[in-house]
Amino acid sequence: MDNALPAASAPAAVDLAFTVNGSPAKVAVDPRESLLDVLRERLDLTGTKKGCDHGQCGACTVHVDGRRVVSCLTAAVQVDGRAVTTIEGVEGPDGELHPLQQAFIDHDALQCGYCTPGQVMSGLACMAEGHTRDDAEIREYMSGNLCRCGAYAGIVAAIRETARRTGH
Amino acid sequence: MPTRRNFLRGAGAATALVGVETVGSPLTAAALAGDETLRQPYARRVDARDKVRGAVQYGADHVPARLTHAVPVVATIGKGRVVEFDTTAAEAVPGVRLVLTRIPPGELRSAPFIMAGGFAVQGYQPMTSDRVAYRGQMIALVVADTLVAATEAAALVTARYETEPFAVTLDADGTETLLQATVIPRFPDTVMGDADAAYATSPVKLDATYDGPPQHAMPIELLASTVEWQGENLIVRESTQNANAVRHGVAYELGISADRVEVISPSAGGAFGQKNSFQMHLGPLALAARRVGRPVKLVVPRTQTFHAGSFRPASRQRIRLGADRSGRMLAAIHEIDAQTSRHDLFPMQYTELTGRMYDIPDFRGRHQLVRTDAQTPGYMRAPFEHIAAFALESSVDELAYKLGKDPVALRLANDAPTTDPISGHPFTSRHLAECLRRGADRFGWVDRRPGVGSMRAKDGTLIGWGVAVGAYKAATAPATAVLRAESLGRRRCRVTITVDGHEMGQGIRTAITNLITGNLGVATEDVVVVVGDTRGVPPQHSTAGSWGTATALPAIDAAMGKLREQLGLRPSGPIDLPAAMSGRAPVELQARTKAPGQPDDVWDRVAAGGAAGAGPEYPAFTSMSYIAHFVEVRIEPRIRRIRVPRVVSVADCGRVASPVTAVSQVRGGVIWGIGATLREGGEVDPRFGGFLSASLEDYALPVNADIGDIDVSLIDKPDPLLNSVGVKSLGEVSMVGVAPAIANAVWHATGRRVRRLPIRIEDVI
Amino acid sequence: MRPFAYTAARTLGQAVEALADGGPGTKVLAGGTTLYDLMKLRIENPPAVIDISRVSELTRIDTSGAELVIGAGARMADVAEHPVVRRDYPALSESLWRAASQQLRNMATVGGNLLQRTRCSYFRGGSAFPCNKREPGSGCSAIDGIDRHHALFGGSQSCIATYPGDWAVALLAFDAKLDVVGPKTRRTIALADLHVEPGSTPQREHTLAADEIIVRIRVPKTAAGRGSTYLKIRDRESYAFALTSAAVGLTIGRRGVIEQSRIALGGVATRPWRVPAAEQSLIGEQLTEATARRAGEVAFAGAKAGHHNGFRIELGIRTVTEALMIARTRATR
Repeated sequence: MDNALPAASAPAAVDLAFTVNGSPAKVAVDPRESLLDVLRERLDLTGTKKGCDHGQCGACTVHVDGRRVVSCLTAAVQVDGRAVTTIEGVEGPDGELHPLQQAFIDHDALQCGYCTPGQVMSGLACMAEGHTRDDAEIREYMSGNLCRCGAYAGIVAAIRETARRTGH
Repeated sequence: MPTRRNFLRGAGAATALVGVETVGSPLTAAALAGDETLRQPYARRVDARDKVRGAVQYGADHVPARLTHAVPVVATIGKGRVVEFDTTAAEAVPGVRLVLTRIPPGELRSAPFIMAGGFAVQGYQPMTSDRVAYRGQMIALVVADTLVAATEAAALVTARYETEPFAVTLDADGTETLLQATVIPRFPDTVMGDADAAYATSPVKLDATYDGPPQHAMPIELLASTVEWQGENLIVRESTQNANAVRHGVAYELGISADRVEVISPSAGGAFGQKNSFQMHLGPLALAARRVGRPVKLVVPRTQTFHAGSFRPASRQRIRLGADRSGRMLAAIHEIDAQTSRHDLFPMQYTELTGRMYDIPDFRGRHQLVRTDAQTPGYMRAPFEHIAAFALESSVDELAYKLGKDPVALRLANDAPTTDPISGHPFTSRHLAECLRRGADRFGWVDRRPGVGSMRAKDGTLIGWGVAVGAYKAATAPATAVLRAESLGRRRCRVTITVDGHEMGQGIRTAITNLITGNLGVATEDVVVVVGDTRGVPPQHSTAGSWGTATALPAIDAAMGKLREQLGLRPSGPIDLPAAMSGRAPVELQARTKAPGQPDDVWDRVAAGGAAGAGPEYPAFTSMSYIAHFVEVRIEPRIRRIRVPRVVSVADCGRVASPVTAVSQVRGGVIWGIGATLREGGEVDPRFGGFLSASLEDYALPVNADIGDIDVSLIDKPDPLLNSVGVKSLGEVSMVGVAPAIANAVWHATGRRVRRLPIRIEDVI
Repeated sequence: MRPFAYTAARTLGQAVEALADGGPGTKVLAGGTTLYDLMKLRIENPPAVIDISRVSELTRIDTSGAELVIGAGARMADVAEHPVVRRDYPALSESLWRAASQQLRNMATVGGNLLQRTRCSYFRGGSAFPCNKREPGSGCSAIDGIDRHHALFGGSQSCIATYPGDWAVALLAFDAKLDVVGPKTRRTIALADLHVEPGSTPQREHTLAADEIIVRIRVPKTAAGRGSTYLKIRDRESYAFALTSAAVGLTIGRRGVIEQSRIALGGVATRPWRVPAAEQSLIGEQLTEATARRAGEVAFAGAKAGHHNGFRIELGIRTVTEALMIARTRATR
């Protein structure tokens, strides 16, 4: 167990070791820092977006140990020892797109692109969870990711097609 | 992906180009209109690859060395002044570099409101005085080395206030109601004939009042800027629709030359009108960056965006519609009260739609501005047209029921196919009737049973089918295009276009790329489009009012015409630019175009950072885009949730410059319509001021599960007059009419005529 | 967010000890979806936080005995998808997957979710709004304010904030119990005794001691579990808190007579709200539209409407009716 820190002053940094997109990352964080802010401001992984900072939009969705979470409500200290995957870790080693990313392009499942990294991360998890039996299920399980441009139909089509093609 | 496009094959002689300063290539609308078979598959969205990889840089994605973070402090009272700040605790937070409270005179001055000849989202710069004009107003700004420290310190800034009475709703004591035509003479009310007399003698009369709530654009990207001083020069990274106004606005506030400011905004994460001007956080932020001598990033917290950003104002519309017993509309009187702020007069144009939607000979509009203690409202997508159509098209539906007419047939019978009733000039193109006919066909309208409550599913679910139409100005703004062609060998040529425009997701890069690949025979991947960046020649005039495509494309078209001429290539038809450029030095040239009839001094206005959009009325014609929406609602027998399983929308936007992105844009507009009708209502508690529903939880946007099938069809007939490319407008017209189509469907299902948005479960239970 | 001391516990013992040693105001952090969120809003300001998200002994789900036993640290998504929970307690599963979003359900634990705090806009809106729950004695902004989402049951002069959770409502309908531990205590409490009405102390929301941790949730097996549903009505189709909700369970005997009935209401009260009189009204009856509706009316008989929330009485009656009609299709005969 870590030692308790004095509460009156600013807390001492906590050394955090985790993997990001398969590579080890070590960073000393303030316990108050969110995983989202650490990714964006400390590790320069700005593909993960801030849309509300309170778990109400899904733009900051990443995977922790293979499960989708909102990184804005994940205290960075909570991912110590865990594996984090962000949008930057989705494509192949030579930059080839994941089939779901390609399907997003094919179905024009985006407009401004701001919520898109979160949609892709959520869509990948939606397939892995097996929540792709029909469009209604995809819609339900993708409802944690707001898209203000209104690309929902393309998002559902992209996930439906990719799930079918990749056997999810 | 095909690299060559041959849809220009057979293009005929140039027709006269109206209002184009430099005559463009003869890619004329008339030529295109003649041959529907020329259409080839278009490029996909050209920036989609970067977007699915999270590789696009938005305003807050730049992380320069030595970056510091700013967090605003906002007022917690409805109105008054700050008597005293206590910043001691904030300054004691480790890492805090600056707590900026009231800015001394001389350091920052308030940029004027964009609709008063200025640049800013409002004409009142917080922090330059002790004033608190509305709850949620920024009163201080904290800069620290880390976001955590800045956030903590901002929370520790305390203010002692002196409060004053305030009014935040249309009916509240203390508001001030002004006749717009008097206080903003350049926005007179529309009057045709004697509407009051014609209405009084109309055999059929309808008179109803419609309430529209305040609504918020809420792009998922937050308002954000990263600013950096490089010597005497300021670099601003901020997602915007109007880099020109951002540049001039911040220069004005700081009292420096606009030449010393560059604004970089390659992509905005949604904008919808909220990012169409200089934002009020930027002046204090630039000042703070100068004080701390480091780059500073500010990401406005979501809750604060409800008060920092403009919004669709609350409105109340009374509409009176007179008709004869055959259903011919004789008179309309449309009177609107809508919210503005204390510090600005936000000009309204609701009757731009209602006066032109039908061939109504006698029409009278009246706009009244109601001053409230809020930030200044603004141009949220289809700012007036959405809610004006709700009133008008609900009334037209009522008229149809009153007379036992089919709602589609009634609309067709009242169409004004050729002549603008307001100006008396011709419409450049108007295919509204075709939108209605095609939409009815695709929807299966013929199977509709007209009786209220007459259509039910087997389980008792009520089914309602509704229709409504919409229109939106086809506006145009001045644009400069700089074209650079550079040979990459015998088979390839890179074409770089820098043009006035901003990419907010509507797909302007794709539309531009399509135009260039089609015209010049270059490959999609060899087209580079630079928009939203003031470091080039184009000033980056605002991209708003749905004029983006109709503004940028004609200028590029003109530049391509010049290029052909300079290279000695045929003025029209397919060319092989890579072959023509092979072995030649790069060519760079520019062209500019402006709206039909705009005077030459419009270039001075643009150079000074001002707004210069024109339309729908031009000297010789009027130009609008049109849409028809057909909506099915289903309402459960017991619970009575309202669902929208399918919508059919058919739009006339002139030539479709980018089919893939255009269809997406219409679908998005329909979803905006669904949100604006069934979900979104800003809650205002008059005891506290500001907006109570200041989160994405309390202000409910549509989610994926809310959206069913949306069938989009585009007429795709090039407009023959507005510009050389034949394009009109699309982004905003796409949501106009969705609200009444839904409301009319709800009526058809339930017999409830709901005249207040949003329509919620309590309205139909 | 105020600075706080962070401690990661690896075992339950460490967690209990750290919580006891942490001093006044120390809080337990599990999924973080409530606590960390409220810390960002400066509504929760703990000087120290004990992270129990790595305590693996809290995550077990055991369905082998006479009770369903669910570790308090199990994630909402995992319990929602558990095949036995889905089969034997559709209401429990539905109450979980109809809450929040999958991302949040992957984070939030079933123990932490019980202690979810209200979503009242005035409570969450911060210091601009008086709120007795946030700042005791400051007043309640909701009582004469925009109360569309506020409670119809269990309110007081001090507070009408709605308990927002779904899971606890479903658990309440099925007589769930909680095992809790503290440094010197180890006790079992009925879920019915966990939440309290606001009275004059709305800041106090539950009966756990400050040094106690919920260890597991136990739900007795009953045939009414299979004949159950959780129906949640929201302002949008998903990812929203309830306007009204109902957890119901039925067993139906020979000739279609209702033998057991469970009804609890969500989204309408200051705490999860069970309605025994409504349950009783169904016993011995056939389930018809009329008897279902009557049960709904009995359930809402004591509802107290404010300014903007009265429609939720009729909506709630219909919600109960609809939920019973769904449960009927699942109930044993």
